[in-house]
Amino acid sequence: MSESRPVIELRGLSKDYGSGDSTITVLSELSLSIEEGEFVGVVGASGSGKTTLMNILGCLDSPTRGNYLLNGTDVSGYNDDQLSRIRNASIGFVFQSFNLVEQLTVLENVEVPLFYNRTPRKHRRAICMEQIEAVGLGHRLRHHPSQLSGGECQRVAIARALANNPAILLTDEPTGNLDTKIGQEVLNLFHNLHEDGRTIIMVTHNPEIALSLPRVIELRDGRVEDDHAARTFLDRMEVH
Amino acid sequence: MFLERVIEVWGLGLRNIWRNKLRSFLTMLGMIFGVGSVIAMLSVGAGARHEILSAIQELGIRNIIVNSVKPPEETTEETTEDVWKDKYGLTFEDADYITAALPSVERLLRVNRIPKRIWYRSKRLEGAVLGVAPEYLETFALDVSRGRRFTEMDSRIRARVCLVRRSFVKQLNTTEDAIGMWIKIGTQPFQIIGLLADEEFKSHTREALAIDGVSQEIYIPYSTSMHIFGTANYVQRGGSHEYSEIDLDQIVITAKRDEDVFITSRILKTMLDNMHEKVDYNIIVPLELMRQRENTSRVFNLVMILIASISLLVGGIGIANIMLASITERTKEIGIRRALGARRNDIVWQFLTETLAIAVIGGLFGCLAGIAGTQGIVALTSWKAIIEPHYVGLSLGISLTVGVVFGIYPARRAAFMDPIKALRRE
Repeated sequence: MSESRPVIELRGLSKDYGSGDSTITVLSELSLSIEEGEFVGVVGASGSGKTTLMNILGCLDSPTRGNYLLNGTDVSGYNDDQLSRIRNASIGFVFQSFNLVEQLTVLENVEVPLFYNRTPRKHRRAICMEQIEAVGLGHRLRHHPSQLSGGECQRVAIARALANNPAILLTDEPTGNLDTKIGQEVLNLFHNLHEDGRTIIMVTHNPEIALSLPRVIELRDGRVEDDHAARTFLDRMEVH
Repeated sequence: MFLERVIEVWGLGLRNIWRNKLRSFLTMLGMIFGVGSVIAMLSVGAGARHEILSAIQELGIRNIIVNSVKPPEETTEETTEDVWKDKYGLTFEDADYITAALPSVERLLRVNRIPKRIWYRSKRLEGAVLGVAPEYLETFALDVSRGRRFTEMDSRIRARVCLVRRSFVKQLNTTEDAIGMWIKIGTQPFQIIGLLADEEFKSHTREALAIDGVSQEIYIPYSTSMHIFGTANYVQRGGSHEYSEIDLDQIVITAKRDEDVFITSRILKTMLDNMHEKVDYNIIVPLELMRQRENTSRVFNLVMILIASISLLVGGIGIANIMLASITERTKEIGIRRALGARRNDIVWQFLTETLAIAVIGGLFGCLAGIAGTQGIVALTSWKAIIEPHYVGLSLGISLTVGVVFGIYPARRAAFMDPIKALRRE
């Protein structure tokens, strides 16, 4: 762990909505860093700024003030095209509601990120087949999302998130729409990815899941309320 | 690489169109009608223009045709000296004076019309007899397909020979060879020596040359006509009879150069105005007719283009409307694509391609519909139409333009959606 470097670094990051008197500060002066290979949970009550933080980390939104360094590059001032490129190259999303494109087959869904970075078709096919095999859905390539179960859909989404070999995997309640057993399987998949060295950030409401994570950042009113590093977290577990 | 991408984006668009077959087809209808009407209008317009131009060219653009006409009734009553005989129209002096005074005139041809009945054995035939110089046949491209044409000798010896139309021969109702047969003009026998190649003049030409609607022309040498029939015409119609004298029924003036036509015709008009008390002639200038027709058809075309543009506009609005609906429906997909790294341009292209595909497919079907419609119009009416191969390219151009104009706004609207809101949409 000594050679790890921060993949994500936030320096005094704030996000305001609205303007003038009606300005609402959703995130204020947030500073934290996440190292390569970490598996971090983000928890907090609704309205605590989790979603906004995820949007900013996912380069879907830009901070109002402060800096967001992704892999050492400050992306806080990037324009729409640059952000799109960063999303494409460095970020893998896994959503609660899977967000697969209904009209596309499993294979085509996984191909989407590679389509936008102009990977030639043949090459793209090969990479995506491999990713789909890895989540155990090699037999479902030509199926449409509506023909799959929820767990299968989420696996496809994970394959898609990994297709471009992103620097970070961002996931928002990935087990929220799944029953406990399937949810656990999906969660195991994330743990496996973590063991392979992936950097994963997971928003969750579920305390059980949060407890299983090496590091948990707790947000309240747009600030970091608590940041249990892996060891501290274990200590706390022992105390209990 | 780039091509592969273009093909993929088009493939995606076509798949989406195919998925919503009925909707896509209904959207295309606007384009089909729009482009179809453009093609039909162009074909019919071009056909009409071609017909007019070729008719006028048949008259020869360097020619000026002057016909003798019966002056209005009231003026004739003033001439009390000769009640039973009516003299009017172009005179021999007019012809001589024109040749002498107008240096821009290359040649002047005299025409004598003989209003006599025509007989074959005991059968009466329809025909208009014209005494013309051999050059007249060249001037109006009256080629002889069988037999021979007039010669100088025919003129000199005042031969009793005639050239007839093929349709005239049909009236003879005989299987024998028409060439060499004798027909009677009035009481005088004439021998058919040749058949004219073309069926008949176009209607504009007939009008300009003062040939009535049903008769086929029979040409005899001018000298023969003057010798046998002269200039006095006696016409018996029903109970009344009419006796008139016209020196020259028609003169055909050929200008030396195209540029001389207008000035010659203007001077000619002034001269005839001065020399004739009554307006007993009319001047036809094919070149002028051509210009007039061109102007008329230009106005006509503008109106056509306006109508076609309106139908294309309606078609385009239909496409834009459906695309906006489709974008609202596919907000989530747009959000997903944006999250996965699609730039605004990628989204613009995706939706613009879909619009273009609808427009172009509609346009090509419209082209077919237009061609079919034109054939229908031609079959049902007497109009002529010209369908040219470049209409396909034109349809493609029009539909691409409509696609871009009406596709850009919906596509941009899709591209500028907030990806976060788009993702949250269910």
